[in-house]
Amino acid sequence: MDYFLQQLINSLGWGSLNALMAAGYTMTFGIIGLVNFAHGEVMMVGALTAFWVMVFLQLPFWLGCLAALLGSIVVGLLIERIAFKPLRGAGMISLFITSLAASFGIRTLFIMLFTDRVKPFPVPDFLKGVLLLGNLILFKKTILIVLLTLFFCGLVIYFVKYTKTGAAMRAMSYDPEIAGTMGVPTERIIVVVFAMASFLAGLAAIFWGIKFGSVRCSMGVIMVVNAFIASVLGGIGNVSGAIVAGYIIGIGETLFVAYLPDHLVGLRPLFVWIVLFVLLIFKPSGLFRPNIK
Amino acid sequence: MGYSKFFIVIPGLAFIFYLLDQFLPNFWMTLLLLFGINTILAVSLNLTNGWANLFSLGHGGIMLVGGYAAAFLTLPVSFKRDLLDLALPSFMVNMQAPFLPALLAGGLLGAAFGTVLALPAMRLKGLYFLLATLGFNFITITIVENLPQITNGPMGLRQFPAHTNIWWVWSIAILLIYLCFRLRKSFFGRALIVMGQDQDLAEHLGINLLKYKVYAFGLSCFFTAMGGILWIHLILNLYPKVFGIHLVFNVVTMIVIGGLGSISGAIIGAAIITGFVEILSPIEEGFSFFGLFEVPRLLGLTTLMLSAALITILILRPAGIMGRKEFDRSSIRRILGALRLKTKE
Repeated sequence: MDYFLQQLINSLGWGSLNALMAAGYTMTFGIIGLVNFAHGEVMMVGALTAFWVMVFLQLPFWLGCLAALLGSIVVGLLIERIAFKPLRGAGMISLFITSLAASFGIRTLFIMLFTDRVKPFPVPDFLKGVLLLGNLILFKKTILIVLLTLFFCGLVIYFVKYTKTGAAMRAMSYDPEIAGTMGVPTERIIVVVFAMASFLAGLAAIFWGIKFGSVRCSMGVIMVVNAFIASVLGGIGNVSGAIVAGYIIGIGETLFVAYLPDHLVGLRPLFVWIVLFVLLIFKPSGLFRPNIK
Repeated sequence: MGYSKFFIVIPGLAFIFYLLDQFLPNFWMTLLLLFGINTILAVSLNLTNGWANLFSLGHGGIMLVGGYAAAFLTLPVSFKRDLLDLALPSFMVNMQAPFLPALLAGGLLGAAFGTVLALPAMRLKGLYFLLATLGFNFITITIVENLPQITNGPMGLRQFPAHTNIWWVWSIAILLIYLCFRLRKSFFGRALIVMGQDQDLAEHLGINLLKYKVYAFGLSCFFTAMGGILWIHLILNLYPKVFGIHLVFNVVTMIVIGGLGSISGAIIGAAIITGFVEILSPIEEGFSFFGLFEVPRLLGLTTLMLSAALITILILRPAGIMGRKEFDRSSIRRILGALRLKTKE
């Protein structure tokens, strides 16, 4: 029982990362029907910006975090401007191919510039250390990650549900054309959505660095697949559903590995695909109500 | 007339193959073979992604399955039994099959695997189908890497006999191209194309959607797996990692640049990408420019350029070079007509 609870606690950090990425993913999907394969690269660029600011420029931790958020937002908006905007209304497949190309291009560029070696991510002292709860070990960084994730996710849900911009976003995800004729500034809303999604990806990048203590250029690949599947699980376009699904995927994956025999631990990536195939066979619309037609 | 044209075309092609086989320098030969293999991959992917609108990204996993099946048959006994000690059935370990049975077995296994995996995905549309097939690559690579006693894990396989030559590659490629051009005029091909344009309309016309989807996917997988087998018998090694989304991305780039849904477009795309990759790969390794300055190693330059090219094409000319059109007799006539007009002026 202790083993199970311990694994559950450990998995919360990974679940938070998945939830943040899935929320951003599902938002961009809902608004322009885009399966954004480059979302993982947005996070990777954020993480590497933080690494660069903290290790090369020797600036303090909080400036590194700020740089990560800024880097992610800038890259997310740049991708939107260069790759997606000229293809508005071109259909889901074309948009997906573009995002695939953008993803490969950015990742390769960064591997060329920085190599794919694992890079240290300095973690400040107040995040090191553990708390003991009976037999259970609780990392301080996990507590911070989970609390901040829940806070920001709550903020995003509030924003989508109760503000005027959020209402415009929901209107656009039902029908962009009619929303446009009703006076919703569609292009501006798309920029806002991409900025928010990239902000969440930047947060995920910082948390990844804190959780694992290192970053690398190919970190986006695993993350983007997990986020993709989490957003389908949560009913695509549904932000709160995606957050819950992100936690389910993260916790499930950790428990799956924890109960596998040692020589099969390499099968870890299979978990999400098993989830996906079971989901596609029994309930393709996801666990919660999807927010698309 | 009937089939008499075959008596002219087939010996003619054989003669051309013979001449090329005898006189073509090594570098150009490899390029020609790679072009042929890429043609097979692109044209067969076009069957599903272009015609039937079943946008598959899982063809890497299918190549992997077919490739391993063929590899177990064609690898030398000494390598399988003595060096690796793979836990295969004993008849498989103790024989070395010729190329043709290996090719067919690998192709059929790839087709069967692809069809079985795609069945649950068949009732899905667009995005969901794409997502499910994307999983094939990840699933097969993960499983193969974690079964070291059967597949030798991430270390991969080596010591392949160099079976691939111009005869195998280009006869399969030309067979596939001929088949596709015939299919396009047949009920089967038209059913696929209608299905790709409008599923509901196709259903109302009495086309059994599931049946034709399965046929299209199986046929495409069969040739893709054969392309994969030809490829590993050309480069003579097999690592599971290679068959990931990167490979599929290259083939998708070919058919998108050429024009989704066009056979000639797929061939043109294959030619462009093959040339592109082969020209850029020496630059990637770094070289000295006439002794004036050193060009540093730039691994990944090809991928970068391909991505940029793909985005540019999609923005400037979303339909690709050929669109959905084909290069056939009528277009030759059109070109000739245009030339004649010019000479008259």
